[in-house]
Amino acid sequence: MSLLELQGVDAFYGESHILRDVTLGVEEGEVCSLLGRNGAGKTTTLRSISGARPPEVRDGRIVFKEEDITAMSPEDISARGLSLVPEERRVFPNLTVAENLHLAEVSENRSNTVGRSLGQVQVEHVGMTTEEVYDEFERLRERKSQKAGTLSGGEQQMLAIARALKQNTDLLLLDEPYEGLAPQIIADVEDAIRRISDSGTTILLVEQNAIAAMDIADRCYVIDQGSIVFEGTAEKLRADDETRDRYLGV
Amino acid sequence: MSLLAETVTVLLNGLQQGAIYVLVAIGLSIILGTLKFVNFAHGALYLIGTYAGLLITLKITPTGGKLADWGYTTLGLGWGFLPALLIVPILVFVVGLAMERFVARPFYDRPDTDQILLTFGLAIVVQEVFKILFGGQSYNFARPGWASGQVGLPIVGTFPEWRLYIIGITATVVVLVYGLIEYTDFGLVVRAGTRDAEMVELLGIKLSRPYLMVFGVGAALAGVAGVVGGPLYAVNPNIGTEVLVPSFLVVVIGGVGSISGAVLGGILIGETLAVMVAIAPQWSQVGIYVLAAIVLLARPQGLLGAEEVAP
Repeated sequence: MSLLELQGVDAFYGESHILRDVTLGVEEGEVCSLLGRNGAGKTTTLRSISGARPPEVRDGRIVFKEEDITAMSPEDISARGLSLVPEERRVFPNLTVAENLHLAEVSENRSNTVGRSLGQVQVEHVGMTTEEVYDEFERLRERKSQKAGTLSGGEQQMLAIARALKQNTDLLLLDEPYEGLAPQIIADVEDAIRRISDSGTTILLVEQNAIAAMDIADRCYVIDQGSIVFEGTAEKLRADDETRDRYLGV
Repeated sequence: MSLLAETVTVLLNGLQQGAIYVLVAIGLSIILGTLKFVNFAHGALYLIGTYAGLLITLKITPTGGKLADWGYTTLGLGWGFLPALLIVPILVFVVGLAMERFVARPFYDRPDTDQILLTFGLAIVVQEVFKILFGGQSYNFARPGWASGQVGLPIVGTFPEWRLYIIGITATVVVLVYGLIEYTDFGLVVRAGTRDAEMVELLGIKLSRPYLMVFGVGAALAGVAGVVGGPLYAVNPNIGTEVLVPSFLVVVIGGVGSISGAVLGGILIGETLAVMVAIAPQWSQVGIYVLAAIVLLARPQGLLGAEEVAP
């Protein structure tokens, strides 16, 4: 069974039917990419998986590590080893870089008022230590006392990814990590994603920038108007001119 | 008394008056900043704190209300002031937890007007319950014997010792709350949660418990204010409402969610009141509204207002 499976998921924003019978699977250890135009339903898919509401999942099942997580809260899903790096980074601009990173381990800390017991939950990949994160992202070490709101877009993206890696993560969901970044910075982020993947963490990457995403992905899905219209390897998608032209415009 | 001595006395009085408002306003401000909950029942917590403080500190004879009708001639424990200062914040903290769980939480997603109607109604209910039990008249909350005298100060000569204690206790409490918000995981989660609650939950952190704590801590501060402020004024069922309005002005002036703002706003309101009482007592209440209006015209978000809870 796949690490993550969406089985016939229908999701709604109010009465708007956004995802229509979406079925997809992410295998352990791979970089899987979900591609599509703006408004195709990519972010809605990631929000449905991570437990963020809205959208409301009215039909179908989301299964992570053979457990149905469809109706779980974001905290419970996160505790099971699924981390989301959301669109627009969502770092806390009022906190320093170090505080942003520390927040990622607060939930694991059972001795304070905000940590909680995770019970029998098993997560294979233990989160990085702060030192490991700083080794991976040197720029963050240099800026650790700086407020996150003062960082550049690329640095904020690094911080958002680093924050996710500090959690115990078996599946990393990346929502448009290249958005708004200069080409050189995109290359840096790509390198970081490759290193994370090489370390064995499974990645589901959602992107509008199809060329960059195909470079890095093992397998791709294409979504259009809330339905999956293509499934296959990155090579297969590269060779499929019609799909690329019709749904991705590249 | 020289003009300088008189001025310094007025300023010290203002600082003491402001200190009470600071204690009430910090709670109001962090609850509003974190939970976006407008709590008009915060004054009721002050009221509960004052009566609880009175009954722990002294033995009183009820002179009205149902308790007197039922034949109680003596009420209270008479344990003295220090036990009251320790017990009341804990007691009001627990009342605050109950208020969050059963009153506030079901209304978090409701409009501000619903929250105001609910909490204003609750404040009136609490006030009337105290009126029914203890009567509408005032009780004398005597200052503790060890702090009832005058203390010698340079320039001003003598100053009531109790008023200095209030300033000292408030300063200590402010430092503790500042430390809690700035240097603990709890404070970190609160600061992050006010900015982007969903992202905090996506990081695996359950916010309901820190939010409950925020409410409890805010309530405990109102309890402290009730105990230290009680001996300054006559204790009656209206004191909750009387302290609430200036405290809301403090929040507005200082900026919602800002602890430093609440301190600054409290000092400004206290000083304005003290100065106005000295030069034109009949205009003293008007003075604080004028101050609030000027601040709001110049800086609608308050002097130190931000979008999140900040030290």
